[in-house]
Amino acid sequence: MGMKQTLDVINRMEADSVIGRYAIAGAVAAYNYVEPTVTEDVDILIAFDPGHRLQTGLITLGPILSYLKDKGYSDFRKEGLLIEGWAVQFIPVANDLDAEALAAADEVDLEIHPNEGSVRTRVLRPQHIVATALRVGRPRDHLRIVQFLEEEAVDIEALCGVIHRFWLRDAWLTFLRRAGIADPCKIKSVL
Amino acid sequence: MKRPKTTYPDISDILQRKAEGRRDIARRTFGEKIAMMEALRERLAPFKRLREQRRAAKPVRRSGP
Repeated sequence: MGMKQTLDVINRMEADSVIGRYAIAGAVAAYNYVEPTVTEDVDILIAFDPGHRLQTGLITLGPILSYLKDKGYSDFRKEGLLIEGWAVQFIPVANDLDAEALAAADEVDLEIHPNEGSVRTRVLRPQHIVATALRVGRPRDHLRIVQFLEEEAVDIEALCGVIHRFWLRDAWLTFLRRAGIADPCKIKSVL
Repeated sequence: MKRPKTTYPDISDILQRKAEGRRDIARRTFGEKIAMMEALRERLAPFKRLREQRRAAKPVRRSGP
């Protein structure tokens, strides 16, 4: 029981078309690039499937939960649905930034314990992890951005492009001012 | 009256070693970091249980009369 088995279940969901394209997001995605921080859950960004939309326009995770319940996964923690020891949060693509992040996600062969073999998965790229942290904007998200910048784990040109494309300039400048960091994107302040 | 000057130890070497340790961890593979987190979560589970017990024992705040 562990992340390998969790991802095996999620890969099976994708193969069975219960979910569309997916990628690991959030704190676990950041593990691919920077020093890890403890987290209780794994965020899985999933492609929006029109079949999962109710008549009210709201998105339902019903088909996903029903599929997993049939497989014996129905234990909820406040962090998410427990799958092989990890609380999993399925997060549907909710804006253009998410859509680009998912489309550009990196394919990786992940080996956690050598005796288990590896698992193929996708993980968000650094510029999208940082941009998403910027958009969410909690203090812990800002800490994550500082980590990426300090550890030089993000391509600055790619990050500046994402900030520009998704209108995150104000959030970026606010973050830089609070963190006391000079702007590597050299965006002109309009605040 | 002048306060006596306190001499503190130089801990820059300790901080440097810690920074090096953080860099070493950051350089590990994705899989190694997940394995490390899984082991860490097990070790931290008793603290998490205590935190949850403390939260559960806290009286619920009610707003307004």
